[in-house]
Amino acid sequence: MAILEVRDLKKKFDNTQILKGISFDLEDGQVISIIGSSGSGKTTLLRCLNFLELADEGTITVKGQQLFDGASPVTNANDLRKNRLHFGLVFQQFNLFPQYTALENVTLAPLLDADSSEKAQIIENGKRLLDQMGLSERMDNYPHQLSGGQQQRVAIARALALKPDILCFDEPTSALDPELTGEVLKVIRNLADQKTTMIIVTHEMSFARDVADIAIFMDDGMIVEKGPARDLIENPKEERTRQFLSGLSK
Amino acid sequence: MFYTVTLSLLEGFLGTIKLFALTLVFSLPLGLLVCFGSMSKAAIVKYPVRFIIWIIRGTPLMLQLLVIYYGPGIFLGVNVWGSSTTGRFIAALVAFVINYACYFSEIYRGGIQSIPVGQYEAGQVLGMTKKQIFFKVILLQVIKRIVPPISNEVITLVKDTSLARVIAVYEIIWNGQAFIKSSGIIWPLFYTGAFYLIFSGLLTCLFGYIEKKLSYFR
Repeated sequence: MAILEVRDLKKKFDNTQILKGISFDLEDGQVISIIGSSGSGKTTLLRCLNFLELADEGTITVKGQQLFDGASPVTNANDLRKNRLHFGLVFQQFNLFPQYTALENVTLAPLLDADSSEKAQIIENGKRLLDQMGLSERMDNYPHQLSGGQQQRVAIARALALKPDILCFDEPTSALDPELTGEVLKVIRNLADQKTTMIIVTHEMSFARDVADIAIFMDDGMIVEKGPARDLIENPKEERTRQFLSGLSK
Repeated sequence: MFYTVTLSLLEGFLGTIKLFALTLVFSLPLGLLVCFGSMSKAAIVKYPVRFIIWIIRGTPLMLQLLVIYYGPGIFLGVNVWGSSTTGRFIAALVAFVINYACYFSEIYRGGIQSIPVGQYEAGQVLGMTKKQIFFKVILLQVIKRIVPPISNEVITLVKDTSLARVIAVYEIIWNGQAFIKSSGIIWPLFYTGAFYLIFSGLLTCLFGYIEKKLSYFR
């Protein structure tokens, strides 16, 4: 059974229909990359999955449990909060908390709901995650003392610390200098090798092709084409996908 | 003479500091309340609060002191403050607290609104509650940003306390001026400036220290 089932998700801002009915499944351990031009609705889709926006219509089901139904949306703050924990989100702009060290950023949220017996465990786990991100020397640094690539890796560790079922990335390397994208892509690649379930919105086509199992091409709020990542990016079937991909290589 | 004047001015300065300190104690938290009011989603709260802020920031503090002290007697026929020294002091305190709460509220509002929305969203996707996000993530960043404008207001307050003498609240200028009548000398009035300077110098150091303490992050 799919770990995530999204059915007919629609979202409108003012009078503009941003998502026009998005449906897809994601299997446990699978990686989906979502590609498409700006304004195609990719980011809105991720925001709806993380309940930063509430979709107008459609359903979101995780592990067989329906978390969201546009017909009767959950608006209770506490339920929303619990639903969000199924997903992790890594932002384009990192959004680390500036007043906390790298390690504190990773452990802040898990520590809030922990009792004292779990605390040491959470801090150990935070250190292990940062170590896994190649940041064992940087745990006590504040965000402004880190490079963009290091900040983004802290953000990835922070999202992982809550053990989400599905980890989402919203253009994780778009705010980085070209020479720093590699280190971030490498840790995401490692996560994929460890069978972390992920949804990655990205403009890095070779990355989308090599790391993802499935690729989705979105245009104008709809899924135009969906298929095995390599096939879709190397031999797109749809004319619009071809146009988009050839536009990039120019 | 210098000794007598210094003693008298010190006594007056005690009144100044009392008004200064009590104004801060009440107006700093009240300002936060006014700030939340002015950012409220309910129009019935937001607009009246913004109207009050406009009135208070748009009229001279000296006028507000007079209206608050004499107003109840003139318009309601009751002198709620009484005619004692304490009554006048409380009236002055009320005027100062309202005035400074409004200024502080705008500083708070600017500080809160300057925090990028990404900070709230990062807290949300980590499953934090609204309250946790405000107290654990936002508040310290706001404090860091508002220390310079708050220090500005606080130093202005030190000097604004001298306005209280329009309703005969004893403070340092009042005492300094008294020597003109009693001894025919004006230098005690000028001498009061030294007290203000020393005190605002100390405050400048204090705020500098706080800014430095918060400089570990950006």
